[in-house]
Amino acid sequence: MSTVVTSPGTRPSRGPITDLLTGGGPVRRALWLAMAALVLFSVVRAISGEEALTSSSTMSAALLLAVPIGLAALGGLFSERAGVVNIGLEGMMILGTWGAGFAGYQWGWGAALIGGVLFGALGGLLHAVATVTFGVDHVVSGVAINILAAGIARFLSELFYTDNEAGGGVTQSPALSSDPPALSLPVLSSGPDLLGDLEGKHWFLVSDLAGVLRGVSSGVGVLTILAVLLIPASYLLLWRTAFGLRLRSCGENPAAADSLGVPVYRMKYIAVIISGGLAGMGGVFLVFIAGIYRENQTNGRGFIGLAALIFGNWRPGGLAAGAGLFGFSDALQLRSRTAVVALLLLVAVLLAGVAIWQAVRRRLVQAILAGAFAAAALTGFIMIDELPPGIVSFTPHLTTLLVLSLASQRLRMPQADGLVYRRGEH
Amino acid sequence: MTKAAALLLAGSLALAACASDEDGGDAATGSAGGGSEDLKVGVAYDTGGRGDRSFNDSAIAGVEAAIEEHGGDVRDLSPNADASNRVELLTQLADEGYNPIIAVGFAYGDVIGDVVEQYPDTTFAIVDSSVEEIGADNLVGLLFAEEQGSFLAGVAAALKSETKSVGFVGGVETPLIEKFQAGFEAGVEAVDPTVTVTSQYISPAGDFSGFNDPAKGQIVAQGMFDGGADIVYHAAGGSGLGVFQAAAASNGRAIGVDSDQYNTVDDPALQAVIMTSMLKRVDNAVQAFIDSFVEGNVEGGSDVVSNLETEGVGLATTGGFIDDIEADIDEYRQQIIDGEIEVPTTP
Repeated sequence: MSTVVTSPGTRPSRGPITDLLTGGGPVRRALWLAMAALVLFSVVRAISGEEALTSSSTMSAALLLAVPIGLAALGGLFSERAGVVNIGLEGMMILGTWGAGFAGYQWGWGAALIGGVLFGALGGLLHAVATVTFGVDHVVSGVAINILAAGIARFLSELFYTDNEAGGGVTQSPALSSDPPALSLPVLSSGPDLLGDLEGKHWFLVSDLAGVLRGVSSGVGVLTILAVLLIPASYLLLWRTAFGLRLRSCGENPAAADSLGVPVYRMKYIAVIISGGLAGMGGVFLVFIAGIYRENQTNGRGFIGLAALIFGNWRPGGLAAGAGLFGFSDALQLRSRTAVVALLLLVAVLLAGVAIWQAVRRRLVQAILAGAFAAAALTGFIMIDELPPGIVSFTPHLTTLLVLSLASQRLRMPQADGLVYRRGEH
Repeated sequence: MTKAAALLLAGSLALAACASDEDGGDAATGSAGGGSEDLKVGVAYDTGGRGDRSFNDSAIAGVEAAIEEHGGDVRDLSPNADASNRVELLTQLADEGYNPIIAVGFAYGDVIGDVVEQYPDTTFAIVDSSVEEIGADNLVGLLFAEEQGSFLAGVAAALKSETKSVGFVGGVETPLIEKFQAGFEAGVEAVDPTVTVTSQYISPAGDFSGFNDPAKGQIVAQGMFDGGADIVYHAAGGSGLGVFQAAAASNGRAIGVDSDQYNTVDDPALQAVIMTSMLKRVDNAVQAFIDSFVEGNVEGGSDVVSNLETEGVGLATTGGFIDDIEADIDEYRQQIIDGEIEVPTTP
């Protein structure tokens, strides 16, 4: 056992084990959390026999579902960190799908990406003009953009896709002329497919880990990789650069930022345009899956992205977790109805842990409550074979709601988020 | 500043409005030669509107064929994005004197009862919804025996499956789509009971997003292909594109629905995986309805069911993927027509 050296300025040591678990930076804590989750899922998978819980098929589906939500949320992050509430993410996403379809059928997937981001950014520009220059209420402008985007997309489709020789119609574009490449890890996930073999063995923990890894490394599209990389990149840009500090200062206290020479209007413009571009990229992702633009294919994902942003406390890591949680539970319910029941066992184990923890800390009421709910969840797991479809398809929303209400009591939005800033009036 | 907000809102509303229902009148083809000028056909589309290359286009094709024959005029209206203005579309057509009026899609079933009461002198037809409960003299239901066509799709899938495992992806869990599922499962069962069928819906009843979410269609179908299925049949509207994508990515095959999707999908990579399509001849049914309207023998308050016998449903052969099993399929078709096989309508 090594001795723990407490350097001045950090909090006093609470014993080597506690330090090992809770010490270190957020990265180490996140790693512990991920490992704990993996063990928990392995246990539940082994007991319930629901292979879908950790299968590579579920994981890749979860990734597909999480990425567009995450991109929209990331878009919201930029905008709201600069103090502009962006309800219009959905509309910008719709513009992104249309732009991707239009450029994609003519010049291939690379152009689709550029076209979608550009169209989304145009939506962002409109939002910026309305909210920053004209001081329109952010929510009003956002809602208007959502309505406008759907109308524009239909209008442009009528203009360009009816009687188009390449195909398409009022509600859809012609097919993309080239598909984006997908990558797999050599040897591990393709060719010999070692991870696939390992996953097929159904060994405790090992196969679960293999399934998760294979799911996120086999046949992953370029845009998925780009989207995942954008999360840490956004963190670095917003929290580790002077540009990021200025941008965030516009969302916290624009008057103070202005007095220190930060060009508040310009920063807000840049942030909202980036926001639109990212939401548009989420739309491009949807177009890539379908290989085509289709009206309404966003299906409210922009709004879910907004929820993921709030879920994640306006932080890149948090919103990624929110999008991931939503994506995973959505993937699970699409993959297997019975696997959703296994989630009850997961809840039971978690609550039992909470009960023991609270009992150790002598909080009897909380311990008994948690214990009772754990018992109820366990009974549910044993008694129920398959949940009614209505509840199953509601799983992602329910999970998000539960986690949000239990875990996130300390949400803090940027101070000046949603306030119209007029230079010299504050 | 408020002015700018008002302008923005007004502009967006105006644009949204003109985007959704400005496509009327342009379909009056073949009416130049005169004929009975009295025939004015009104069409209210299902979500997606004209140009969906499926359901709605099939309906208007039927109307145009009828007008070619009888002469006349057509006005078609598309619902707005959330399809909340269905009643307005029907009353607008009736007020403008269109008769008969055809409502395309079962979603009109909830509202058409009130509308037909208001316009007793106008004849209405509704596609995909039974009108016997409404019982109005001026309303006809145009129904399809989807389960019979789906039965043949199931036969084709079972004969062609190499892994002895096939799948069905439904868009929304409604009684209408359950007919597809029931027929498909029965068809597979009839050929080879050892072939397993995995059936799944994208969204539950009440949530119609399942008909228009290719991403989720892809994910559901991919799950089936990952699970060992090699042929997946979809009845999921626009989400079916995702099913085709999943089939292409997994070297599987897919069966389309409603129209001959081999012809409408525009992408050679996807054409290669569309083995066949379960055809629903909305055009024939609509044309037959207008014919009987012109002849004056519309039987109000009743349903007209198009089935295998009337060739209202069937399988597409474009691409030649099922040419080798045509004899088997014809045999089953004949057995259904003769009543030797009773196809269930609920799974």
